[in-house]
Amino acid sequence: MSASAIIPQQRTPLLPDISTSKISAKDRKTRPQTQKKQSPPADNSNDQTTRVTKDEISLYRNSQRQNVCVAMLREGFHRSFEELFSLLQRFEEARQAGGPDNPLWYLPSLQEQPEKLLTLQTHLTRAETAFRAGNFAKVYEEQLALAGYFTGPGEDWLSLYFHQVALRSAQRVRLDGGRKEAEANANLARVYLEQGQLDLAKEHFEVFHCLSKERPWWDATGRPLQQCACEGLCAVYTQLAQGALQSQEYELAIEILSKAFNIAKEADDEEMQGKVAYWVGLAYHRVGDPKTAKEYLTMSLNTSTVLGDTECQGRAYKAIAKSLESDGKLEEAVQHLEKFAEVSRSNKQQENLEEACMSMGIIYSNRGEYERGVEYLQQAYELAKSVCNVGRLQQAQVCVGVTRAQRMLPSFSAHTNNGNPDDIQRIITWKDRRQDAYDYSTVGKK
Amino acid sequence: MSAAVNPLANPKGGKKLCELCHKPAYLQCTKCGVTFYCDIAHQEADWLSIHNRVCQMLVPVRTPTPFHNLQTERDHHRAEIRKAQEQLISMSEEEARRWLFEGRCQEALPAARLCLRIAMETHGPNAVQLVPAYLLLAEANVGLGSPSLAEEYLSQAEWTVLKTPDCSGVLRHRLHRNLGSLYSTTDNPDAALQHYANDVYYASEQYGLDSIVTCGGYFLMASVFQKQNKMDIVNSLYSKVADSWHGHLSKLMENRMKLSVHQTLSEVERCEGDRTLTSMLEQQEEMNTDSALNQFNSAQLLHCLSMLWSLAGSWTKALQFGHRALVESQRVKDHSLTGPIQELLTWAQAQHTHTH
Repeated sequence: MSASAIIPQQRTPLLPDISTSKISAKDRKTRPQTQKKQSPPADNSNDQTTRVTKDEISLYRNSQRQNVCVAMLREGFHRSFEELFSLLQRFEEARQAGGPDNPLWYLPSLQEQPEKLLTLQTHLTRAETAFRAGNFAKVYEEQLALAGYFTGPGEDWLSLYFHQVALRSAQRVRLDGGRKEAEANANLARVYLEQGQLDLAKEHFEVFHCLSKERPWWDATGRPLQQCACEGLCAVYTQLAQGALQSQEYELAIEILSKAFNIAKEADDEEMQGKVAYWVGLAYHRVGDPKTAKEYLTMSLNTSTVLGDTECQGRAYKAIAKSLESDGKLEEAVQHLEKFAEVSRSNKQQENLEEACMSMGIIYSNRGEYERGVEYLQQAYELAKSVCNVGRLQQAQVCVGVTRAQRMLPSFSAHTNNGNPDDIQRIITWKDRRQDAYDYSTVGKK
Repeated sequence: MSAAVNPLANPKGGKKLCELCHKPAYLQCTKCGVTFYCDIAHQEADWLSIHNRVCQMLVPVRTPTPFHNLQTERDHHRAEIRKAQEQLISMSEEEARRWLFEGRCQEALPAARLCLRIAMETHGPNAVQLVPAYLLLAEANVGLGSPSLAEEYLSQAEWTVLKTPDCSGVLRHRLHRNLGSLYSTTDNPDAALQHYANDVYYASEQYGLDSIVTCGGYFLMASVFQKQNKMDIVNSLYSKVADSWHGHLSKLMENRMKLSVHQTLSEVERCEGDRTLTSMLEQQEEMNTDSALNQFNSAQLLHCLSMLWSLAGSWTKALQFGHRALVESQRVKDHSLTGPIQELLTWAQAQHTHTH
């Protein structure tokens, strides 16, 4: 018999025994260590601990997104986790949606920006702690901080999202009489206004206005909140009215603007009133009510003169002139245009000046005062050249040409009607030389 | 059923080892002739756990490959064996899971071991397919109160997952859940929370934030926090779990009542739901504060249980819970629950009388 038959072969079972545990304590200890040696240490900075902990390994191995999520969950912040998780998912979906045509495609993903993830983590967990304690004012502050934090490209929806949730938390704050709610509404409305969602902005500004009405609240710079509300509402109403004017819904525009005017009156703010009055005037002008239009425009002009706001002043002069012109009061219109030109000149607004000269030139040439007309149009032409506006330049060129031609017309027809050889001769020489006028003296000598 | 085998009489090189303990075998299963045991106790244990179901299936897998002339025949035979192995793996896994589910860990062990052995023969010693078997073994060992063995299996599983970067999230989620439960039994709450957190993360990625699978992780986390006496976190987690279950069950119930889609809960889901919801309800009752929130939670949990039993078809239980839910919900100012509960009650009553 060979030895191998008697001595059982050294075979360790593949699996540990189920009935009795034969695994030595030494075996058990070594395994996790060998496992750890395989992964390089995540952080060499603390050399006091030679062993690398599991946390450090996971920091190194796993994605930043997972680390942040797990860190929050470990502390039991499941709401924060859900919020972050769904936000990241939404961000990715938005990025992937349009493919390479999407401008978001080329932006770095949110989960690849550790400092943003960490900021989100800090604020969200703080907010959740406050939420558990029922301190909604603190929740609101944290959410507001996050809303202010996201300002980069492609992050506007994040900011909007946090403003929305901040509003929801603010609505649950009880003890401050609704001040936080008002502020949250204002913030949200401003974001909507920036994004051009006027209807939503209007809605939230109206709530803000309602809440802050006759309340002794001031913002950080010491302005009363009510005034802020009025200002915001005016801005929204004006923009809405401008849209209505563009789509030629004048009645609607006037309705909106009169609301805005009332609000401006309520705020007792001259500047705002002046600005709104300008638009009301313009709307009435479009609707064909020059009398009311002039009333409002004059109001606007007066306030801007008082406040020394030359831009608004110029704008008002121009609008009044236009209104007068359509009403047939050309003399007064020209007077206002002169003032418009004067204001623009003192203000060095070349484009406005050019516009004023152009309008005056056209009015004069329409009235048959070609000399003065040409003079103004020539000025307009020079100005258009200096501001390098091709469209205006071409317009000015045409106007100058037409007016000069019209200036020539009476003498030309007189010459042809006379039919004297002299006159004919003059016309022929003029045709050769193509000057602006028949040069009597030179022709006479010939 | 068993025939004696003398180890000395075995042909050279062919050692017959016990199916369970890997000691020299003295008995042979006469039905299949390919399974050996050291004594009758092991044979009985194996028979009860898994062998009665797989006895005949083991025959083709364990007999030596017959000689085939043609390559196609050899290929065909290999494919057949492969298919049989796959079937064995899934069958033994299912069986082990069933035993674990019934809480009989000792019976689950032979099945889990068979699963692991076949999987190893099929896929090799380091394949990711072995992980489910490791997890089952670990779970059984945790249940039997031998955490050291469970840790051994779990570190094996963890190592395998670590070496497989494209391992599925489902597997990772189950691994972390098992690790978490191991550490929570060995009184290491930090490690347990770490693993449960990972479990929730992977489960959310796979099943979504409001899935009841994710909720399982939250529930386990809550039990760890409860040991640490952080009641505010526990309450917040419980309300999340209750919300998710309520949403899930309401959706199923709506389908059932309005569209009469017979989409019932699986057995596993039903038992888990029952266990989770009942224990949360007990917690609520223990706290015994008469706050409105507490009452709302109780009403919600009772509503969940009522829906659960309606879906399972036990009308008496459903009605019992439903009536309690109605009483609770009427004590709360927020009446959003009362409507659905009444609707459920009338429907369950109708079904109850219909079946009798």
